Amino acid sequence: MKILVAIKQVPERDAQVHVASDGKWIDESDLNYTINEPDAYALEEALQLKEKNGGEVVVVCAGPERVTSTLREALAKGADRAIHIEADDMGSRDTLGVAQILADAMKSESPDLILTGLQSDDLGLGQTGVVMAELLGIPHATIIMHVEATGSGLKVKRELEDGWFQHVEMPLPALLTIQSGGNKLRYATLMGIKKAKTKETKTVQAAAATAPAIALDRVYLPEKQKKTEMLTGTPDQVAAKIVEKLKFEVRVI
Amino acid sequence: MSGVLVVMEQRGGNWNRMSFEALAAGQQLAAKLGVECSAVVMGEAVGSLASELGSKKLAKIITVEHALLKTYTSDAYVAALEQVAKQASPAYVIFPHTYQVRDFAPALATRFHSVLISDVIAMHDGPVFVRQLLQGKLNADYRQTGAGPCFVSIQAGTFRADAVEAGTSAIEAFAPSLDAAQIRNKPGELFRESAQTVDLSAAPAIVSVGRGIGEQENIALVEELAKALGAELAASRPICDNGWLPMERQVGSSGQTVAPKLYLAVGISGAIQHLVGMKGSKTVIAINKDENAPIFEVADYGVVGDLFEVVPALTKAVLAAKG
Amino acid sequence: MVDVTLAAVTCAHPSGTMLFPAMWVSATLAEPAHFSWLETGLLAAGIVISLALFFWRFGPILRNILHSKQDADFSLHPVGRRVWDFFWEVLCQGKVIRQRPLPGLAHAFVFWGFLAFALVSSNHIANGLQIGFLSPESSLGKFYFLFAAAWALLVAVGITGLFIRRFFVRPIWFGKKVSIESGWIAFLIFLLMVSYLGAFFVSPGGAAVKALWWTHTLTLLVFLPLIPHTKHLHLVISPVTVFLKRDGFSNIPPLSGDEDFGLVAGKDVTQLISLQVYSCVECGRCTEHCPAANSGKVLNPKEIALGVRSYLNELGSVSDVALLAEARPETAFANLLSMEAAFECTTCGACEYQCPVGIQHVPVIVGLRRGATNTGVWEDTYGTKLFLALEKNGNALGLSAMERDKFIQKEAFPIFDGTQEYCLWLGCMGGYDPKGREIIADFARVMKYLGTTFGVLKKEKCTGDPARRLGNDLVFQTLAEAGLKAFETAKVQKIVAICPHCVRTIANDWREYGIAPEIEHHSEFMARHKDRLPKQASGESIVYHDPCYLGRYRDVYEAPREMVRQAGTLVEAPRSHERSFCCGAGGGLAFLGEEQGERVSHIRAAELAGTGAQVVGTACPFCNTMFRDALAEVSTAPPQLLDIAQLTARALPKMQETGIMDQGTGEQ
Repeated sequence: MKILVAIKQVPERDAQVHVASDGKWIDESDLNYTINEPDAYALEEALQLKEKNGGEVVVVCAGPERVTSTLREALAKGADRAIHIEADDMGSRDTLGVAQILADAMKSESPDLILTGLQSDDLGLGQTGVVMAELLGIPHATIIMHVEATGSGLKVKRELEDGWFQHVEMPLPALLTIQSGGNKLRYATLMGIKKAKTKETKTVQAAAATAPAIALDRVYLPEKQKKTEMLTGTPDQVAAKIVEKLKFEVRVI
Repeated sequence: MSGVLVVMEQRGGNWNRMSFEALAAGQQLAAKLGVECSAVVMGEAVGSLASELGSKKLAKIITVEHALLKTYTSDAYVAALEQVAKQASPAYVIFPHTYQVRDFAPALATRFHSVLISDVIAMHDGPVFVRQLLQGKLNADYRQTGAGPCFVSIQAGTFRADAVEAGTSAIEAFAPSLDAAQIRNKPGELFRESAQTVDLSAAPAIVSVGRGIGEQENIALVEELAKALGAELAASRPICDNGWLPMERQVGSSGQTVAPKLYLAVGISGAIQHLVGMKGSKTVIAINKDENAPIFEVADYGVVGDLFEVVPALTKAVLAAKG
Repeated sequence: MVDVTLAAVTCAHPSGTMLFPAMWVSATLAEPAHFSWLETGLLAAGIVISLALFFWRFGPILRNILHSKQDADFSLHPVGRRVWDFFWEVLCQGKVIRQRPLPGLAHAFVFWGFLAFALVSSNHIANGLQIGFLSPESSLGKFYFLFAAAWALLVAVGITGLFIRRFFVRPIWFGKKVSIESGWIAFLIFLLMVSYLGAFFVSPGGAAVKALWWTHTLTLLVFLPLIPHTKHLHLVISPVTVFLKRDGFSNIPPLSGDEDFGLVAGKDVTQLISLQVYSCVECGRCTEHCPAANSGKVLNPKEIALGVRSYLNELGSVSDVALLAEARPETAFANLLSMEAAFECTTCGACEYQCPVGIQHVPVIVGLRRGATNTGVWEDTYGTKLFLALEKNGNALGLSAMERDKFIQKEAFPIFDGTQEYCLWLGCMGGYDPKGREIIADFARVMKYLGTTFGVLKKEKCTGDPARRLGNDLVFQTLAEAGLKAFETAKVQKIVAICPHCVRTIANDWREYGIAPEIEHHSEFMARHKDRLPKQASGESIVYHDPCYLGRYRDVYEAPREMVRQAGTLVEAPRSHERSFCCGAGGGLAFLGEEQGERVSHIRAAELAGTGAQVVGTACPFCNTMFRDALAEVSTAPPQLLDIAQLTARALPKMQETGIMDQGTGEQ
């Protein structure tokens, strides 16, 4: 099975974020980057499918030069090949634009299966996979916990609200967006990194960006910072305050 | 293009309640822009559901009925809605941000060369739609710049379902043209996982007990609170080590990692081994008699007090609130 | 003939006179006067056969050792250290006696006796070949043979004692099976001595003399080939092993080249390791002090050494078969070398410390772990979680770096900017663990009181200690290189840390990638300034627990004790100093899942609480964290648990509101 995994390089989860002076994005000068965590699960799923069914895993990432380190890590974890779509202007492309360049790069590969993470840790729009499937004209399913190859295609387990699940049978080629936590991630090993040096990374240029359909006007800190609010009073008073929080803020009552 | 179209969600003849929050959002947006707001309901036979909307203030309720819409598939829903949107030509299409919407709405937007502005937490004048970035660290303002309709999905709890304006509206039927060959996925029956005794990671609310509880018998106090809240009972390591609760209820570095909507820590000091297991919780409420307990560093709400007084009072108050 | 004159020798003694008899044997060793050519011929043949049988077994062993991989980092320098270790440990039998006094002394007698016998045996054989060189009639000969006879007596007594110990006392450290071959060897040694001593009591020229001579000779000829077939191989190679030990304590060698991932298969076993495992005498001192073996775990350090030896015997030293061979249960070594055992080690080093023949267990176990982790074979939920946390968050706990920032802000620690004397290294425990933070805060108070300027790094990542001990060289390299760069960029010259693991890793393990600024443990710092720090005559009894990474690894025993004495009365645990029993956190185990069997921390906590001391004094935040819950569970009235920084800080005068402190006693 030839599996393509679309991965994204995002700022580290822990990073202290500062809004850039123009207010349009965050200050990238002091940032460390890493693989988008849901994409790490997608990669893990792909590697496990390869281990079970044979085939090839190719990772694809769009972005500037720095994304090659994330591609290298993916190769170290076991992917066979990498494709770097070079684009320095990712910020000015919207989901449709990004999905377009990914789809263009993948078309010539004729994959059996495309996997993406369910959403990105930075923008969190959660759509690139679905849009790619639409552009490529292949069926898709989202928020997938488990993938099994069947004789005629795939059987996937889809997560729904409230602890419900659903199996879906799909033909190949298809695209899936993978839910985090479905598999145990593997750690990058020294042996993997050494092998990665010999694996192929192909660089392609992204087509010029077209006018986006939506625009990110500005970013700013949310007004409410996380501060511990101490609730005081008699036990009954405190209980009442908590119940109020539970009803209206947390919404579990 | 004009007007706001709200896409309601139903399954097996039951509403997904979030649809009403989206409806409230759609109405408010329409009011601000001075345009009409309509709703669309899809399924095999949605007549009775649609008539429930008759008492809401809407320009019209579009029913889209077809055998192939009985069970949700992205192919069928996208095809049908594409046809509806082409005919109704709304400027704004509003969805509730449900699992189902995440599955098909982006594909629908693509057909109109548009991009879904998803998981919106506020709407401002413009209209400008506010989303969260970087796991809630930042907010961002989004605007439609493309020529097509603006597709928006609304985060749960952003609008109140009971804020839907009452009024009158009429039902308009739309007959989609769908072909079984278009539908590529074969969805199966919905099911729940086999009953594990405890799956803390799936619990939306957890009440967790620590060494502050003192004796094994006292755990019953906390159990009552958990039951009242409909929450799962969990514990920090020492409790499980003593055998007071089974190991599968342990939260922490050598137990389970959880991220529920509510984590209520009772008598837990907040040692690092425990914190790493629950730091992802959405809201943390801590009750501890030591004001310096590290748990307060990660709590959203803290109570410095005697849990033997606060917990029973809380249980009483919760039961009263639930009615 | 023997003329026995009993002479009483009195000795003046301050407490009175002591009387002990000395037996003067004015006797000569009776040797055969003449050997026929037939006898010489038989002897020569016997020698040839004996040597052939010896080399028949020793040859392959030597080959295995020599064909093993070269140790990339090995150097004979500093030679002085090696010569001293050889002198003290081999010739003086220092470790052997010190760590197990009575059996050690018995063994020392046997060893020294063997040395003393060197000339005797050579002359004995030479005689048979008609080229004898030492006559029992000459004065040198007379003296020497009597000297050797005294030793023969000691050897006979010693070997009898050891025999009784092995076969009747049966210490569990020897293993469940009684070693029959040891019995035979003991018998042969005994026979050698008796057949020698007997020659003093027979008349020369008689048939008895020849009989005794041949008995002695045959015993020698039988003994020789047995050496390489048994653990008595140590007679030949352990002096070499001790001399060639890898420098330092528990030093983990660097990987060599792109194909080296650690001890994956037999061909990765290096010459030093081969030499060491073939030297194992199965004494079980390593097992006796191993926290895992003492708490019901699978791990037994003796079996690690014997497992590798067994592998080399079965498959040789260039084999591709995996060492941690779960897949071949029918081999002898698979029972001894299991993945489970390899990952139960806390790297406390007690095994290595105790070994009298120079086996360095910890690099072997870490090497086995490397082989599994660097190749992705080790699949453990917690291990993976740890490695991912180190990769993503740069700390072992998987917490956001912002938590550390919050702590620094709360305590208002100055940021290191090159102007301060010390960089205070927080570490993962000091930066994120509530108890570790208390220790840091108290130590900071001590430094402020002393007027020592310090700053903390703006960003800190883990030193990589848990990754290093668990064998993940990729993560370790990343963290070490990042750390070295951070120190260089910030122009740090001196570092002080509260965690012995950080100190060890920065000072030693980071060397593979660069030299870090000098670093010391806070106990060393405080002890140096102890005269300026107020004492607190609290009268409290404080039992001090030696952390493995401060004691055995760094040889720091006194400095923390001095700080304990300043705070109260020092109490020693039954197992202290180099015998200190691990708290169980090391080797990355603090981050792995549930332990099997008894919990190491509980065993030690019970021992500490059992001293009756009011306070348990620690010098490592990991020991502190392990004992925190353990003490409460092993005792109904548990002692207080305090780090030496906390013990010292509580004697400091309270800081005034303006932040201006009572300065100490002035300039040093």
